[in-house]
Amino acid sequence: MINLVRNEMLKIVRKKRILIVAGIIAVLVALFTYSQYREIERRLERFGDVDWRTTLQQQIIDTQNRITSSGISDEWKSELQLRIQQQQYYLDNNVNPMEPGAPSFARVFAEHSINLFLPLMIMVVAADIVSSERSAGTVKLLLTRPVKRWRILMSKYITLILSVSTIVVLFGVLSYLISGLIFGYQGWAAPVITGFNVEGNELNTNAVQMIPQWQYLLMEFSLVWFVALIVGTITFMLSVLIRNTPAGMGVMLAALISGAILSNMVSSWEQAKYLFMINLNLTGYLSGQAPPIEGMTLGFSLVVLAVWGLAALIVSFAVFIRQDIY
Amino acid sequence: MKKYSVRLTLVFSVLSLILMLFGLGWTIQNQFFSKGASEAIEEKEPVDVDEDKDGKVVVALGDSLTRGTGDDSGKGYIGYLVDELEEKSKEKITIHNFGVKGYRSNQLLDQLKQREIQRKIQSADYILITIGGNDLFQSGQTFLQMDEQKIAQAKESYMKNLEAILKEVRTMNDSAVIFHIGLYNPFIDLNDSKLTTKIVRDWNYDSNQLLDQNEKAVYVPTFDLFQLSVNDYLYTDKFHPNAEGYRLIAERVASLITW
Repeated sequence: MINLVRNEMLKIVRKKRILIVAGIIAVLVALFTYSQYREIERRLERFGDVDWRTTLQQQIIDTQNRITSSGISDEWKSELQLRIQQQQYYLDNNVNPMEPGAPSFARVFAEHSINLFLPLMIMVVAADIVSSERSAGTVKLLLTRPVKRWRILMSKYITLILSVSTIVVLFGVLSYLISGLIFGYQGWAAPVITGFNVEGNELNTNAVQMIPQWQYLLMEFSLVWFVALIVGTITFMLSVLIRNTPAGMGVMLAALISGAILSNMVSSWEQAKYLFMINLNLTGYLSGQAPPIEGMTLGFSLVVLAVWGLAALIVSFAVFIRQDIY
Repeated sequence: MKKYSVRLTLVFSVLSLILMLFGLGWTIQNQFFSKGASEAIEEKEPVDVDEDKDGKVVVALGDSLTRGTGDDSGKGYIGYLVDELEEKSKEKITIHNFGVKGYRSNQLLDQLKQREIQRKIQSADYILITIGGNDLFQSGQTFLQMDEQKIAQAKESYMKNLEAILKEVRTMNDSAVIFHIGLYNPFIDLNDSKLTTKIVRDWNYDSNQLLDQNEKAVYVPTFDLFQLSVNDYLYTDKFHPNAEGYRLIAERVASLITW
């Protein structure tokens, strides 16, 4: 089995997929680091200092003003209300939600990438992991060996898990290293507040805890990894089902993008919460954002994703073992 | 080299996998099974006033007038005031605008309880307040109903709040000069202008009296600015000033600020 996995890994490395992904991530991180840097400069110009309390207070006031303007939907209003309460909590406890430094950058970047950007990167690796063998015909060579079919697919799946882990960790390492050039590498021990509960329109702070940022980062990236793994598994299934790699990618892409759009407008369609693409924003539960549909919790989303992943895995194996290869 | 890169990727990915699995376990433990979360929060001591400020600090409190509603450029009288002051003096001026649209006096009083607002007030050299417009006009409802008893009630509670606001601000900062911007009558062109003018004037008169009882507190009238050609200075909502109107207010306040 180990040899099979090594063989699969060899293919991934030879195709330079992980390198390409790392390159894309590096470019994007550099881009966002620069824009963030400009934003800080602008603030310095406007308020005379970069005291985060000043900025945060101003943000609260700005949001309060937005809420009072007419023509703003109730939903958006209650989300803004939550944000104000949360920011006020940070202020009252004298905790900077955006401690300057590379770790904070990595944290926020991961938060924004979890439901679209990273899944896309995973797709780059996962989409053709089976289908390319079939379109190139090399799958016949693989299957003529005296190895059971499920073992071959298993080796491919293990390779996928390993690549997913590599990409997620690389994502963290790259965003830390590159953004640190400008923001500095400090801030691992800065306190971060987690455990906000959203109940209706109220922010419940009973279960709130303050943890050091490195711990928060570890938790956040493990959730990112989980999402990436599930997306990878579903893409893997499509790769088994659909011979044509671009077609498989297209299906997955459509699902992911529809998820991003749906999250903003499904709050009245409750059954949508069983769709995997609505549940991708796991890190939102850590930072205390309002879930896309009321009543969704971290546990719920984890279970939904796990069920989808498991189902995808079963389908892939069942199909691959029985499929006619010609 | 090629052989190594495969091995390297393998080792790295296995390590990553272990790290992520560990993290996921920790997350689940932390989010679902950890209790006594509240103890993890330790009270941090409150922050001191910024000592190392340079230049003058202006804190603006109040309602939509402070915010600048109705000014297309979004500056409001605060923005024009800063422009004027910067022309007059070389000193650096920092402005903190905490105005929120629709604020009434009781809401402003609540806002003063926030620590960060207090901190900024403590470091202020000038404090500008616009409040009372929403207490009196209540988005135009007041003058539609013309219920004198209600108006008297509104005034009473407003005066109480204003007094408390001034007292609060004073206890936080005993050296800053407080400017309170008075009300104008946006309805002066409509029917009943005599009556509405009287109500606004009374309101202003009482505010003015209250301000006079405080040291270093200045009441800035705006009634006369809008008296003659109110429509030239009002925004299309016929309630808030437009850019010109704000500029008039700013000029008046600017002439009062000296250093």
